[in-house]
Amino acid sequence: MDFEQRFLAAMNHEEPDRVPVMGLIMDPATVNQILHRRGVDFPRMLRRPVLRGAVRRLLNANWYWNRMYYGNFAGALEGAIELGFDANWTIYASMQLEPDPESPIGLVWHDVFGRVWEMNSDDRGNMSVNYTRALCATEDLWEAWVAAKAPLFDRLIANATAFHRRLAREYGDRILPIGYAAPGIFENCWQAIGFVNFTKLVYEKPEFVKRVVAFHTDLYLRYIEGVMASGVEVVLGGDDLGQKTGPLLRPELIEKFFGESYRRVADLVHRNGKKLVFHSCGRIYELLDRFVDWGFDGIITMEPTAGMELGRVRAQVGHDLVLIGNLDVSQLLVRGTREQIEDAVKRAIRDAARGGGYVLSAAHSHPFVDPERLRWMVEAAHTHGRYPIAA
Amino acid sequence: MRDALVQKLGTALLELDKGAVMDAARGLAGDGPEGAKQGVDAVTAALATVGKRFQDGEWYMGELVYSGEIAKDVLDLLGPQLSGGAGTNLGVVAVGSVEGDLHDLGKNIFVNYARSSGFEIVDLGTDVSPAEFAGAVRKYRPVALGLSCLLTVCAGGIRQAIEELERQRLRDVAKIVIGGAALTEEFAREVGADAFAPDAVTGTEIIRGWDEA
Repeated sequence: MDFEQRFLAAMNHEEPDRVPVMGLIMDPATVNQILHRRGVDFPRMLRRPVLRGAVRRLLNANWYWNRMYYGNFAGALEGAIELGFDANWTIYASMQLEPDPESPIGLVWHDVFGRVWEMNSDDRGNMSVNYTRALCATEDLWEAWVAAKAPLFDRLIANATAFHRRLAREYGDRILPIGYAAPGIFENCWQAIGFVNFTKLVYEKPEFVKRVVAFHTDLYLRYIEGVMASGVEVVLGGDDLGQKTGPLLRPELIEKFFGESYRRVADLVHRNGKKLVFHSCGRIYELLDRFVDWGFDGIITMEPTAGMELGRVRAQVGHDLVLIGNLDVSQLLVRGTREQIEDAVKRAIRDAARGGGYVLSAAHSHPFVDPERLRWMVEAAHTHGRYPIAA
Repeated sequence: MRDALVQKLGTALLELDKGAVMDAARGLAGDGPEGAKQGVDAVTAALATVGKRFQDGEWYMGELVYSGEIAKDVLDLLGPQLSGGAGTNLGVVAVGSVEGDLHDLGKNIFVNYARSSGFEIVDLGTDVSPAEFAGAVRKYRPVALGLSCLLTVCAGGIRQAIEELERQRLRDVAKIVIGGAALTEEFAREVGADAFAPDAVTGTEIIRGWDEA
C-alpha cells in the first residue's frame, strides 16, 4: 500500500498494511530543525527602527505573505516526508501587521476574522504566532469589522484554494496533504469578540450570536469548498470546543447555536466525496456522540493532558469515528525517552487500531516538539503497527 | 423584605437570570450597609454552589464565566454601600501570566471567581517578569501566588519565577499555584510549585485550603 491507500483505508475503518502516521508539523522551529535551516527572525528585525518600516511593508504585501507562508508549509511537508509520515496537515492563514502599543514589539498581526495574534521568536530566530485577544468586543465593532473586511474574505478563500492546490500538486505524490480549514466556526465567532463577552452575548443577546454564527457558517462553507477544490481527499475542520476539564459551553448550547452549522459542513464535504475530520482540544467526551450525529468522519487530537484516553473514546464511539492523535506533546514528544515513546505508540495501537479507523499522530504541535522524537514515534509505528494487530 | 431580596439574589444568580439578580441587588443597595453585606454574602454563597456544580461537571466554563460576570456587577453595586469596605476578606492573592505570555482569559476567570469568593486579588497582568512576581510577593505578602501560562513555549517562565523567588529568599512567603493549558500536575512537581489547578474553581479551593490551614 502507498501512503494514500493506507490513510484512506484507515479512514474507511478497514485494516491497511500498517497503522498510518500523520504529522502535525507546522511550527518553523520544528521544520527548521528537520531541514537544518535557520529561521528568518522577523520579530527581531521589526524591533530595529532602521528595518521596521520596510519589513512591515514586505510582510503586509499579499504576494510576500503568501510566498512566505507557502514556504513554511512546503518545508513542513518536506519535513514530514523526511520523517516518514504518511500525511501532514496544511493550514492557510492571512494576516496584516498593525501598530499596537500593548505589544512588546509595537506591532501585532490582525487576521481577517478580527483577532490579534502576537508574534515572538526563539533564540534561533524561529517565529511563533499566537492568538491573544479580540478586536470586536461589541456588536457594533463586530458589524463594522465584517462590513469593512468583506473584500478580504473573498481574497482569503482564493488564496487558501491556491495554497492548498499548490501543496497538493507539488507534494501529493510523496505525502497526503490534509487540508485544514481553520479556524472553525466556533472559534471565528468567539475569538473575534472575546470569550467573556461572547458568553455574555450568548445569554443576553442570542439573536446577535445567531447572526454571527450564520455569517461565519456561510463564510466557512465557502472556505471549505475552496480547500476541497485543491484536490485534497480528507478535509480537517477545527474548533477547540473543550478545555482541560470539559466542554467550554454546555453541550446543549453548542448544539443550539452551532449544531446545524456543523451538519451543513459535514454534508458539504460528503457531497463532494471527501472525508471530514474534526480537531478539538480539551476534554470532550460529552461531545463525541454529537460529533457522530453531526456527521463527522473522524476526530483528531484527544488531548491526553485533558484526560482523553483512546481506549475510552473507542469504547464510547466504536467505529462511528476515525480516531487520530493522542500522543502527548507536553512531555513525551518533547523530552520522553525512546522507550517511553515506543510504549505510548504500542498502547495507542492496542487501544484504537483494531479494525482500522486509527491514525497515529501527536496530539498537537508546538515549537518544542522534538523532531527526533517524532522520528522515534514513526519508527515505532512502523515496527508495531503492522496488521493484524497482535492481541 | 430584606430576606426575600437576599434569597431572590442567590436563587436568580444560580439561574443565570441577570435581570432578577440586579433587581434584588438594587433593592439591597437601598437598604444600607446591612442589606449590602447580606447581598455580598449571598453572592459568595451562590458562587460556592457554582464552583461545586462546575467541579462536579454539572456546569460548564460558559456558566462559570457568566455567573462570575453577574457577581462582579453585583459587587460593583453593593461594594460602595458596605460600611467597612469590601465584605469577607480571605486574604491577598497575587496572580499574573508569566513572561512572554500575553494571554489572560484563564487568569481573568480565576481573578473574577477568586475575588467574588472573598479573596483580595492583586492582578499583575500578563507578560510578568520573574522580578515583578518577586516584587509583588515582597510588597503584598500574599497567601498565594498564582502563575498562569497558556503557551508551552512560555512554561519556562514558571520555573524562572520560582527560581527568582528562591534567589530573593521569598519562596516561603507565599504558596505557589500554577494553571493554564500548557501545564500539568507533573510539571508543577518538576518546577517546585505547591499545586497545579486545572481550572479557576479548583485554584480558588486550593488557596482557600491554604488560607484556612
